[in-house]
Amino acid sequence: MSRFLRNNGWVTGLFALLILLFIATKIIQPSYGQGDFTSLVRAVLPYAFAVAAQTVVVIAGGIDLSVAAMMALTSVTAASMMAGASEEYALFVVPFVLAMGLVLGAINGILIVVSRVPDIVVTLATLFILQGAALLVLDAPGGGAAEWLRGLILGTLPIPGLPESITGWIPNALVLLVVALCTVWIPLRRSRLGLSIYAIGSSDLAAFRSGVPVARTKIIAYALAGLFGAMGGLSLTMSTGIGAPIPGPYLLASVAAVVLGGVALGGGRGGLLGPIVAVFVLRLVRTDLTLLAIDPNVTAIVEGSIMVAVVMFGAYITMRSRSS
Amino acid sequence: MRLTKTLTLLLGGAALLASAAASGAQGSYTIGVSNTVQGNGWREEMVCAIKAQALASGKVAKLNIAHRNTDAAGQSEDIRNLISAKVNAIVVNPADPAGIKDALAEATKAGIVVVAVDQAVTEPSAYIISNNQEQYAYLGAKWLFEQIGGKGSVVYMRGAAGASADSDRDKGFKKALAEFPDVKVAQEVFTGWQQDQGKQQILDYIATGVPFDGIWTSGIDNVIVDALVESQSTLVPVVGADNAGFVGQLNSVEGLKGAAVTNPGSIGGAGVTLALQILDGQKPAQQTVLVEPSLWENVTDAGKEQLKAAADPSLSPEWPVSISIPDWTTYTKEQIVACKGPGE
Repeated sequence: MSRFLRNNGWVTGLFALLILLFIATKIIQPSYGQGDFTSLVRAVLPYAFAVAAQTVVVIAGGIDLSVAAMMALTSVTAASMMAGASEEYALFVVPFVLAMGLVLGAINGILIVVSRVPDIVVTLATLFILQGAALLVLDAPGGGAAEWLRGLILGTLPIPGLPESITGWIPNALVLLVVALCTVWIPLRRSRLGLSIYAIGSSDLAAFRSGVPVARTKIIAYALAGLFGAMGGLSLTMSTGIGAPIPGPYLLASVAAVVLGGVALGGGRGGLLGPIVAVFVLRLVRTDLTLLAIDPNVTAIVEGSIMVAVVMFGAYITMRSRSS
Repeated sequence: MRLTKTLTLLLGGAALLASAAASGAQGSYTIGVSNTVQGNGWREEMVCAIKAQALASGKVAKLNIAHRNTDAAGQSEDIRNLISAKVNAIVVNPADPAGIKDALAEATKAGIVVVAVDQAVTEPSAYIISNNQEQYAYLGAKWLFEQIGGKGSVVYMRGAAGASADSDRDKGFKKALAEFPDVKVAQEVFTGWQQDQGKQQILDYIATGVPFDGIWTSGIDNVIVDALVESQSTLVPVVGADNAGFVGQLNSVEGLKGAAVTNPGSIGGAGVTLALQILDGQKPAQQTVLVEPSLWENVTDAGKEQLKAAADPSLSPEWPVSISIPDWTTYTKEQIVACKGPGE
């Protein structure tokens, strides 16, 4: 147990912060309950997928500036394909859009590996390309979504034998998030490929000398980011019922949550759980600021200050524990 | 040990914040506001009109304003947070007409009065009070095409790609264009409703040397006139909105012909009035109330009079001069300029 705590100190700390925030929320708004928690998870969904995409790439030593544009493009593609189509057609749309994300992500990776232009420049360029492509697909917000798909993130999961008071705290959106992330992340983390992603992030020269196929691993990391980005795009279409061609505020939010989640921006260190918990923290802070009716021009400053404070506090604790 | 200390500290802080929030309340209504464009003169006037009307009505104890740059998913999050905050009514300027439907339906289900301002929403339970955007574009474009003699080429400077007010205005512009078959669109650009971007775009176009006969703008107007004057190119007729800066130019710039179409940002204040009427049990006859635009031009004497009367150099150049809407807003000019809500 103590070993687990030592290895996962940052995540444990984030969980503690999240629980404190829930307590604070309950004090601010005593009626905060199951329905409000469901709302929180639905707000978390697109951010969580954006941050998952960013996490994989950052661990591999890169950065992906095209995350939000990727979500916009996949979202409008899904929405325009599903508009007026039958419910069953969505069964084809979902895997198609996921594959599209995977391929576009891989193209990001290939461009970086082949051209040797820095990640930040290549993904900045693809940001504009994907954004333009999204406007070609839909020049204004529109399209539709299959009812069954939208239903996946509505309501809560009834588990036979468990009372409503417990299942009410298990929103379907949370189940979907956990299932989608785990299906990709757990096999990856346990495979040789996962280890290679961490290795090239730590030092691509050392990884190369140890026989890790650096180029291939990098391309796969970006492809996985594209896949998570497509999941994020689908979650946007699911929660709004439409596709919007102008990217939302997901790029900066994804970088923020990656940092807050304890992933080293230099690569090679961190996991997926930390950034996901960080997303919950950031969304709950937003809820609290709204509940408190804080001046809206101040809220962004408060959000930023909290982030800096937490990261600095974490760095301080890490330094102290190292010196002792 | 250290952890318990931190815990107590944090909990204490939270309790303090909570009590600070509670002390502002003096009974009556709490109104939630959701807006998704920050740092734009028109939207800032809208928020100030909401604050001023809430104060002037005397019926609002507290405003709960969610005002940030975000998309439809983010706005749904804000609306759900306002539901959690148990507000009595929500005044919303929608990021998208359909994208926030679920969140608005949840609000109505929770007994909250929902009023959409500026742009329509598809949720049938919501009330809508909006400027007629299609008519806004039609009026201005028709005047412009008549002004250039029904033939020639115009620069079409739109708003933000994908915004519903922009697509509604596009419908109006195209309707006018269809009535004048000899008028061509020389260049179509999206200014994103950003002053600097719009100015750069017109300077780029002037630099190509291709002649044009008129400019239609979606409200990014005074910087376009600035660009024409600075580059000493021909002063072609310009259509814009009733922003204080542009109205001033129509009165003062030598040789400039143009028209301002009203698009009051004070519609936010009208939204508060409508929400309060519904809360007090007076439902409007229709679910949608449209505020019709009017056009002020500086070509006829009557038009010049209107423009003179409307000009207000004391306002920020990006603020629309129509800072109030008859029958719908009751605040004074000082109140909207001060931009203070109840309890501030």
